[in-house]
Amino acid sequence: MISSNSTKAGGPAVRIENLDKYYGTFHALRKVNLSVERGERIVICGPSGSGKSTMIRCINRLEQHNGGRITVLGTELNDDIGNIDGIRREVGMVFQHFNLFPHMTVLENCMIAPTLVRNQPRAEAEATARRYLEKVRIPEQAMKFPGQLSGGQQQRVAIARALCMQPQIMLFDEPTSALDPEMISEVLDVMVTLASDGMTMICVTHEMGFARRVADRVIFMDGGEIVEQAPPEEFFTASQNERTRQFLSQVLGH
Amino acid sequence: MVSLLRNQKVRNTLLQVVYVGSLAALVLAGIIIARRNLAEQGITSGFDFLYKSTGWDVNFSLLPATANDPYWWFFLIGIINTLFLGCTGLILATLVGTIVGLARTSANELAQLLGRTYVDIFRNIPLILQVFFWYALITHLPTPRAAHEAWGLLLTSRGLYVPAPNVGGVAMALATSAVIAAIALPVWLGRTSRLSQPFGQRATIQLAGAAAALACAAIILVVGRLPDAPLLDFPALQGLNLRGGLRVPPEFSALAIAIAIYGGSYIAEIVRGGFKSVGKGQMEAARSLGLSPWRVFTLVRLPLALRAMLPILANQYVWLMKATTMGIAVGFTDFFMIVALTINHSGQTLEVIGILMGGFLAINLSLAAVFNRINKAIALKGNQLRG
Ligand SMILES: Nc1ncnc2c1ncn2[C@@H]1O[C@H](COP(=O)(O)OP(=O)(O)OP(=O)(O)O)[C@@H](O)[C@H]1O
Ligand SMILES: [Mg+2]
Repeated sequence: MISSNSTKAGGPAVRIENLDKYYGTFHALRKVNLSVERGERIVICGPSGSGKSTMIRCINRLEQHNGGRITVLGTELNDDIGNIDGIRREVGMVFQHFNLFPHMTVLENCMIAPTLVRNQPRAEAEATARRYLEKVRIPEQAMKFPGQLSGGQQQRVAIARALCMQPQIMLFDEPTSALDPEMISEVLDVMVTLASDGMTMICVTHEMGFARRVADRVIFMDGGEIVEQAPPEEFFTASQNERTRQFLSQVLGH
Repeated sequence: MVSLLRNQKVRNTLLQVVYVGSLAALVLAGIIIARRNLAEQGITSGFDFLYKSTGWDVNFSLLPATANDPYWWFFLIGIINTLFLGCTGLILATLVGTIVGLARTSANELAQLLGRTYVDIFRNIPLILQVFFWYALITHLPTPRAAHEAWGLLLTSRGLYVPAPNVGGVAMALATSAVIAAIALPVWLGRTSRLSQPFGQRATIQLAGAAAALACAAIILVVGRLPDAPLLDFPALQGLNLRGGLRVPPEFSALAIAIAIYGGSYIAEIVRGGFKSVGKGQMEAARSLGLSPWRVFTLVRLPLALRAMLPILANQYVWLMKATTMGIAVGFTDFFMIVALTINHSGQTLEVIGILMGGFLAINLSLAAVFNRINKAIALKGNQLRG
């Protein structure tokens, strides 16, 4: 359980030290070190298979790490179920394929965790849900089912669902890469708004325009390692690293 | 004229008319020929025999039956026996299948192995052999005199003896409906309170509904009990025989167990498939929201798996219903056996076969209709993206 003074206390939002992760014998993360301050916006990019998803999934224990330490809001992630539950309450996650619950309405999707995990009264949970649906600009879809929405709308519901838990940290794993081009901006706009509200965000994305606009730091991963990290201007214009430059020339198309 | 024949609608209608017309002609010809042949043999066709008394008895019946009862009453008994055996078998098979199927999807490797072995063995032994096996086993149990009693139950070669409530027929029927209501009520409450209640309270309301219905059943039983008798009648040895209680005959037990175990092995595969079809993404999302493993299972994994399972399960149920006709192999008077006996005694083969087909068609079509309704009611709305 995260005690209220440790979550309010100073110190980084997420601290990852010497993180090792194996899938069987495959070494997916190699001694990764990363510290994310409260309110900081991080963009992680890198080629496919470089370990980006693995790393952010370790932060809320969707993957179990094999070595090193992860501390989230002052609580160390270990086998303590109380710690894991406490951290999941404070860390929201948005997935590439939305992963909404297709048998529940949009409103129910947004209310299930607050009512059951945070024990919020129904009226309060509904008010919160409607507020966040408003914020992601789809208040009128509350009674629809996920399958009746477009991809962009579904992803915005997924963001609202995570926000309804009123997390302190948001993780995004390629939130726009399953979307048609015309829907990408509607999701990115929501994320930009979120960033300007001061949310701590860790985003795996290849949307370099988004990185330029909101990121405090861009992190480049390759082969299970963090190869380079820098503020966006520096990262995009002045990178000295050969692998980074090669990757950038691919995603930026020149 | 040519242009009319080229018209797709006209052409389709024409084909339909020709098709239905030839089918009707075929059936008509069959009936005429059959009637002429029967008349030559001196057999009168028609359904008058239904009102004659049978002159023989049945060994299992939920309704009162004597040899003086007419054929139509025996058909009714047969249908009810088939339904009773079928429902018992289906419920047990579903239980077995769920347990084995969950074992096969579990992370525990021993459970997986046990589940796989179960399915491999029982799915590959013909049902009729399994019926014979259980029948032989049960009929070789100790005689009533040597049987041991446990919790008021007596396992003997003459059947399983269980305590029976000393309750009038009307009260029994009412109590049975109350128990059915206890199952149906939570489903209905879950649907109607879907939008007005939070998730946790919804379960409470459903439980309360089920509890209320069960309490009603208990009250009905107590109020409706026969005067001057204890509520439960326990079987007890009297001389060489057992008195009191309810006897479940070995034929019924053997069939129910065989259907449960054989059907369970198929249902286990359906359950496993259903759970496998649930996207990992949905469960990860639920976990990332902080929901407990139990809630991830009951609120996300199970509801989605059920939706994938139900259509296939319906097929399996219809199939198992037809498997009750194995009753004839051990002498259980199900619908099929009554039909066979009637053919022997009355000689009205065509009519009786017609009744048999009509009966099974009605049973299985209603089963399918119920499942279609359920499937429609819980179908996921909109297009589903597989993540
Ligand atoms: N469950 C798993 N079992 C085995 N190997 C895995 C598993 N998940 C990921 N990997 C491997 O670990 C490596 C890192 O995977 P990860 O999903 O973190 O990459 P990524 O950077 O997110 O790539 P992408 O851009 O394609 O999403 C890959 O080589 C992948 O094949
Ligand atoms: Mg990834």
